[in-house]
Amino acid sequence: MFKIDPSQAQQTVTVLLDGKHKALPAGMSVAAALLGAGEIISRVSPSSKKPCSPHCLMGVCYECLMEIDGTKKQACMTEIAEGMVINRNFTDEEDN
Amino acid sequence: MSHHDVVVIGAGPAGLSCAATLAEMGLDTLVLDEQIHLGGQIYRNVESTSAAQLDFFGEDYAQGRAIVERFRKSNAKYKGGATVWQAEGDGTVCFSCEGSSQQITANYVVIATGAMERPVPLTGWTLPGVLGAGAANNLAKEAGLSPKGKVVLCGSGPLLLLEASLLIKKGVQIEAILDTTPLIPSLSALKHMPRALLRTDFLLKGLKILWDIKKSKVPYLRGVSGLKMLGADKVEKVECVHKGEKVTIPTDVALLHFGVIPNTHMMRQVGCEMHWNPDLRYWHPVCDKWGRTNHDRVFVAGDGSYVSGAVAAGLKGELSGLEIACSLGILSTKSRDEMAKPISNKITKDKHPRPFIDAMYAPRAGQFAFENDTVVCRCENVTVGEIREVISQGAHDPNEIKIITRSGMGPCQGRMCGSAINEILASELEASPDEVGYLTIRPPLKGVPLGEIAAMKFSEASGPADLFKNQK
Repeated sequence: MFKIDPSQAQQTVTVLLDGKHKALPAGMSVAAALLGAGEIISRVSPSSKKPCSPHCLMGVCYECLMEIDGTKKQACMTEIAEGMVINRNFTDEEDN
Repeated sequence: MSHHDVVVIGAGPAGLSCAATLAEMGLDTLVLDEQIHLGGQIYRNVESTSAAQLDFFGEDYAQGRAIVERFRKSNAKYKGGATVWQAEGDGTVCFSCEGSSQQITANYVVIATGAMERPVPLTGWTLPGVLGAGAANNLAKEAGLSPKGKVVLCGSGPLLLLEASLLIKKGVQIEAILDTTPLIPSLSALKHMPRALLRTDFLLKGLKILWDIKKSKVPYLRGVSGLKMLGADKVEKVECVHKGEKVTIPTDVALLHFGVIPNTHMMRQVGCEMHWNPDLRYWHPVCDKWGRTNHDRVFVAGDGSYVSGAVAAGLKGELSGLEIACSLGILSTKSRDEMAKPISNKITKDKHPRPFIDAMYAPRAGQFAFENDTVVCRCENVTVGEIREVISQGAHDPNEIKIITRSGMGPCQGRMCGSAINEILASELEASPDEVGYLTIRPPLKGVPLGEIAAMKFSEASGPADLFKNQK
């Protein structure tokens, strides 16, 4: 859905994404890094049970809400960091 | 609990310019910004971006550097990644940063929360792959990301066309631009034309964008209606009606844009008096020329007070700064007025084309169709039909609609559905949106773990029980 401009020098960080190690581009928000790596789905809506992708990328819509280092956070407002533990809880039906 | 002369909320052009103005006069000024980097949306990442990016986004973006540099030199304090979740008319501010929350106080609070894209519910707008055009712009500035595959841009307004021209320049495969702006411009646009002509530089930029689009041979369909995003697990095609015929366009990424509106959640929570502008169809706070609200200690600066663009936002921030310095006794009224005069003149000049552009693109009453099967509240999956149903049953207050349907009760707290509920209710009752009222906005403005609140330190005079008092 998105590609990273090859002219941008790219460093990566390794995170634990849904229990698996994954290299993601550094120096951007978690939401941007995931989109850049082809991880389009940010969560499954607890109300509609349908997949969502980030929509506003400026902290308004909460469609990129995911568990980051143990707390529910807006991925577009959180900077990606080495060793981050990110859980998108695709099967979690708990309402937040 | 720390105290500051002024706390500025938001680090876009208005917040940064306001804070720099104050700090240059020696006032203890703290800027709290929830984004990772300063610059707001328009100057996102401008401080650390590459020369190639600066060149690509052009002069309008690059001039953000001067604002940022002035701010950095000014000794104003800055906290990024700081989410304000409560502000009060007495100058109390609560915010969360790096996993802990604190309460601080200030003699003056400046709300510089800027603008956001107008959320317009459409069938299928919740599908993965449907984003705001501004979202795509943010991703490009922040991370050098561009949409991949077939892209369709839908909606109305100068920023939609600007984004289209940027994507064309990037070589993105645009299948179509579906413009919902009515084909016959509002008559009032004509009367604003002479003033707009005072800024030929601005109009030429607009013409250049239109020319770039034309030259690219990207199909540009004007006067479309009935926009729908279709697909199973992601957007696969966009459907619309053009010249009376149904058009279907395959797509991987659909970018929506229906203009920008002030981001007013915090002002409502503080209790700022709000005004409905029937021409622009948005709410904005009632402020004097300095940005002072009905709360003596609370100012609103920038696009949050009224959308006039990045340049005017910075200047409005400076004006608020001057008045606050004057109120704090640092500046005489005479000096304030002398310093304000050239700034006000610049604002007037900058605003010349605005009434014309607004009249061209502002939505008209009833322009948005709001189909019954469309999801209004993305968080709680509530449709237009469900909202209409409870209105017909007698729920004539947005808060009643919220309590019955849960629309506006999810994590975004009505940011995405509030204006649509307002419009739908007004239309059903054949009233105007200000007659039917808006959702009540309460703290915490953004979700904050209870543990953070429990661990907060308070002065002896108050405690956690005082946090949410005086709330409607």
